Amino acid sequence: MLGDLLLMPFVAGLLITGVLGLAGAGLFLRGSVWQALALGQWAAVGGVLASVLHWPVLLVALILGTGVMALLQRSTDRERLPLGVFLAGLAAVTLLAANFSQASLAAAAWAEGQLYFAGPNELWAVAMLAVASILLAPGLYRVWRHAQLAPDVPATRPPTAWLRLTEIGWLVAAVVLGSMVLGVPAALATLLLPAWGAAYLAHNLRGLFLWTQGIALAGFLVAWGLSLSLDQPFAPVLVLVNAALASGARLAASGYRERNR
Amino acid sequence: MSPDPAQPILRFQSARLGFDRPVLGPLTLELPIGSRWALTGPNGIGKSLLLKALTGQARVHHGRLELAPQARISLLAQDHPRRQPWPLSGHDWFRAMGAQPPEQARVRALMDRRLDRLSGGQWQLLRLAAALSSHATRPPAERLVLLDEPANHLDAEVRHDAIELITSLPGGTTLLMTSHDDDFLQAAGVERHPLTEYIHAG
Repeated sequence: MLGDLLLMPFVAGLLITGVLGLAGAGLFLRGSVWQALALGQWAAVGGVLASVLHWPVLLVALILGTGVMALLQRSTDRERLPLGVFLAGLAAVTLLAANFSQASLAAAAWAEGQLYFAGPNELWAVAMLAVASILLAPGLYRVWRHAQLAPDVPATRPPTAWLRLTEIGWLVAAVVLGSMVLGVPAALATLLLPAWGAAYLAHNLRGLFLWTQGIALAGFLVAWGLSLSLDQPFAPVLVLVNAALASGARLAASGYRERNR
Repeated sequence: MSPDPAQPILRFQSARLGFDRPVLGPLTLELPIGSRWALTGPNGIGKSLLLKALTGQARVHHGRLELAPQARISLLAQDHPRRQPWPLSGHDWFRAMGAQPPEQARVRALMDRRLDRLSGGQWQLLRLAAALSSHATRPPAERLVLLDEPANHLDAEVRHDAIELITSLPGGTTLLMTSHDDDFLQAAGVERHPLTEYIHAG
């Protein structure tokens, strides 16, 4: 199942799944799931635009993603504005695809995912982000834990502005790179669904992170095996597998609570 | 340098407070270090707003607010709605608040429970305990604890525990709270100060 051609995509996919799982738990704790939707879609706009302009894909996607995140951070509206930004991104991709043939191909790649075509560049980028995630994890954890307190206020000092900016930059990088490697729907499914399922199973914050990683990595491995053995595209299979695992986690947690009442 | 107990831990001078625009004041008030005050008054007069101004959640539009440089402020907000699901335990909450759980058995029993599965009274007791012990490693004279309606949501089961937590605050810690519950204030042993006495014309 892991020939030489598929080893690089497999490793890149596994690493970005771990990063997206961490980001997903963070977004769940921040209550920012709509932001992820808008961010992922505008990463796709950046990728499609880069294909039209013949510019570096990752760079353009990161610039647009950062711009969108900066816009969303300036507003307290956590639902309608991100949804509007997402829809604007969807419209932008559709218009680009309708007017430029190369944009049409790029849009399809971002929508369907291109994991099997991940090469050394993608693997390096994902590996660097994975290492950065491990190094930043204690600081990220501190920011997300502190975000739970409001409106209560602790007497201890809050995370520094520098740490909060780092967290936002890291989230942008995770969503943009995840969308580039897995495709927007698969990246969003890895961001949103494992953390949602894990939130029902976990006993505490540490459990949330562990269960999220467990569900996300299991989802990736199951989807990888199914899509190859059934000769199906990877991204939609991953979305369905993650949806099934998250729903299963929720049902299992509800059943456990009912039995222990 | 240790704080001078004769100095106030906070001082409002002709301060007008609000969010987007001033709605309370002008207000002049000094709170001595180590005092235990309850601000009283009818709903909507601005008691919670005053506490929020001290934590930076509301603004001082005119006049001055001076806080002692060493002051470390913790706030128990009037309400803290819980998300569903919310996979945090009592231990997680205390760590986030920079607090050590007290010895009290009823609080200890909540530490391993998920916050979204506590009763309203248990959740209020846990938050109160964390707010009271946030950054408790600092000298008491540096600590200013703000409690906004701490008696809210407390059922008979946990009310006594809440009072015990407040009365066992180390001497020298400054406490400023709001409450409409006279029995609770009396049991907690705090001085009652009507907020209207500190608001002056013009």
